[in-house]
Amino acid sequence: MKKVRSRHKIAEGLNDLFYIWREEFSNVLKDQGVLIFFFLVPLAYPILYAFIYTNETVREVPVVAVDHSHSTLSRKFLRDADASPDIHVIAYCADLEEAKDIMRKKGAYGTIYIPAHFSDDIAKGIQTQVQIYCDMSGLLYYKAILSTCTDVSLEMNRQIKISRLGNTTDKQDEVSTQPILYENVALFNPQNGFASFLIPAVLILIIQQTLLLGIGLSAGTARENNRFKDLVPLNRRYHGTLRIVLGKSLVYFMIYLLMGTYILCAVPKMFNLVQIAQANVLFTFIIPYLSACIFFAMTASIAIRNRETCMLIFVFTSLPLLFISGISWPGAAVPPFWKYFSWLFPSTFGINGFIRINSMGATLPEILFEYRALWLQTGIYFLTTCWVYRHQILLSQKHGGAQN
Amino acid sequence: MIRGTLHRIALLTKRELKEMGSRPLYLFCIIIAPLFCYIFFTTLMGNGLPTDMPVGVVDPDNTTTTRNIIRNLDAFQQTQITAHYPTVTEAREAMQRGEIYAFYYIPEGTTEKTLSSRQPTVSFYTNNSLLIAGSLLYKDLRTMSELAGGAVGRATLYAKGATENQAMAFLQPIVIDAHALNNPWLNYSVYLCNAILPGILMLLIFMVTIYSIGSEVKNGTAQTWMRIANNNINMALTGKLLPQTILFFIMAAFYNVYLYGYLHFPCNSGIFPMLLAALLMVLASQAFGIFLYGLFPALRLALSAASLWGVVSFSISGFSFPVMAMNPALQALCNLFPLRHYFLIYVDQALNGYPMAYAWESYIALLVFVMLPLFILKRLHKAILYYPYMP
Repeated sequence: MKKVRSRHKIAEGLNDLFYIWREEFSNVLKDQGVLIFFFLVPLAYPILYAFIYTNETVREVPVVAVDHSHSTLSRKFLRDADASPDIHVIAYCADLEEAKDIMRKKGAYGTIYIPAHFSDDIAKGIQTQVQIYCDMSGLLYYKAILSTCTDVSLEMNRQIKISRLGNTTDKQDEVSTQPILYENVALFNPQNGFASFLIPAVLILIIQQTLLLGIGLSAGTARENNRFKDLVPLNRRYHGTLRIVLGKSLVYFMIYLLMGTYILCAVPKMFNLVQIAQANVLFTFIIPYLSACIFFAMTASIAIRNRETCMLIFVFTSLPLLFISGISWPGAAVPPFWKYFSWLFPSTFGINGFIRINSMGATLPEILFEYRALWLQTGIYFLTTCWVYRHQILLSQKHGGAQN
Repeated sequence: MIRGTLHRIALLTKRELKEMGSRPLYLFCIIIAPLFCYIFFTTLMGNGLPTDMPVGVVDPDNTTTTRNIIRNLDAFQQTQITAHYPTVTEAREAMQRGEIYAFYYIPEGTTEKTLSSRQPTVSFYTNNSLLIAGSLLYKDLRTMSELAGGAVGRATLYAKGATENQAMAFLQPIVIDAHALNNPWLNYSVYLCNAILPGILMLLIFMVTIYSIGSEVKNGTAQTWMRIANNNINMALTGKLLPQTILFFIMAAFYNVYLYGYLHFPCNSGIFPMLLAALLMVLASQAFGIFLYGLFPALRLALSAASLWGVVSFSISGFSFPVMAMNPALQALCNLFPLRHYFLIYVDQALNGYPMAYAWESYIALLVFVMLPLFILKRLHKAILYYPYMP
């Protein structure tokens, strides 16, 4: 007898689950606002971002030169600097005042100043200095100007040393100027590009934020449409917590499996970003990420009372979440408080894991911490979702009961 | 006449204050969210420049010379040697686990080859998929590599009887003396917070403005609103948005005081041009919000447009990735974002301390944003009175 009843109960539960699933699906498809968040934003935003950063790095930063040395060596220095890909000497000024004026008018972002004694010093064997002044409105300008001038000076230093040494063979020249050779290997982002660095993080973040917005929007709508402003409608089929939570999350999960494939696989390909992920690893990792995001969003949606408020509350969080994840600002430099705070959000682990899988070719053992954390979050947020929905069901029943 | 107008505006303001007081959402968006972001970004980047970032070492050579190189590397401000790995593969895996941002590889026989003038090669691997950490460490590791070579040369020169000056002049005839103007510490907090904080505030102003106009339509109170304003749209908007203007300006002034007064970020123009810019920024953002609602007279659409504009402005304003490196179409498009103009004002005024005249174009641009609602007032009036709420 008891067995039959429990089997009956399971069957009823599954029935309700799929009923709720169907309802939620049709709600999503009928609601233009949710469609925008679930489909349009994930389709269009990554393209816009990739388009902004697609040039990867800044080239030909305009600089002005002030050459008081007027010597073969100083002219060579400036010529070599100009010939580099990163800076472009747009003018030769008579003095620093003239150079400053050009910088004030934003004609140039830096000044290279070669003092009058430059060539004399070198001839006398005294160390000499080339001054560079950089506008600090963008660190990439500074980086371009400083690294170019350093490269030029190192190369000229080498040649000066060779001419002083009077060696007899080329090999001797090489060894005496550079007793130890060195090489830099820029792993995982060889062109030092901005897009390859930032876009993967943005892609992962878009998944979480659009889920927050979409689920928040439909929760707000539900509250506006239901009597007594409850989240859960007064309906015979909306009685079991598990049915509601699973039925709804299944809808989001199916949609985001599709969108996630587009965002995480197609977008990097379209913009030729670094993409060395192994398909099975990426898939294994994305499952807990999506689940954690969905339950996180469902829990957070409890705060949404009106249809439109989700945008006011969630949109601005994108930027702090991007910074706290330890991608743009190195994770090692994130203060401990914010580090633990960041563990509340699936995006932190999602971004770190995805960048390692996608850009650094990591496999599951290397991202075990993030992987486990996401499953843990899935579990915790599933429980909180159940809890808040349970509370809401009771509330709606109470309201319903009071009415009867 | 004037007294009547003032009276009506006072009534509208009072009505709006009551509405704002009754909804925690306004408290959150006007006070709590900006305040949280001020504190968040300034404490997150409180160090200014990341220090002691973890770096690994692969040193199969393991001699006094190589250990010396590693010790010197560890002494660099931004580098901290956290681990030794027996092979490059293990170091690479540690990097993939996110334990280190870079590693230094000194192959076996390096010392021996150096001593016998056979020019060994050392290498360093930086993880550039984390661009900031990668580039900062690149600088340290490269300097160290130059110095390692130089140390050998210096020892040879000292042995030949050269003085330190002579040795340095021989090894490095030309040195670069870099002046990072007005941010000599390369402080990332100075560099980013000055644009991020107003950016967040702008995003919230867009949304709150749109929300407060749109909810009149949504709640069906638009008729009452207009009646109090004597059916004058200018008066209606002024009365309604005035309390928000004041509150947002206080928030904007607060971050100015916080950044320049408390944290002592460079403010070479004095505080007044920045306060003027803050006032213009608040007005321009409110005006832009009104404009968006006039353009898309549906609450949800206008808010979506505001989110798009507000979020994209962080990327397109050019404070992280320069505008000059973007596609020419985007270079033109970036002028449509008020944050871009605010950022240019900040660079000219607070950062570089140029006279106001050099930034006049950006001030004018913000003023143009303030004028924007004039183009859609009629449409907006109609929308408020007659358009039904669209879910």
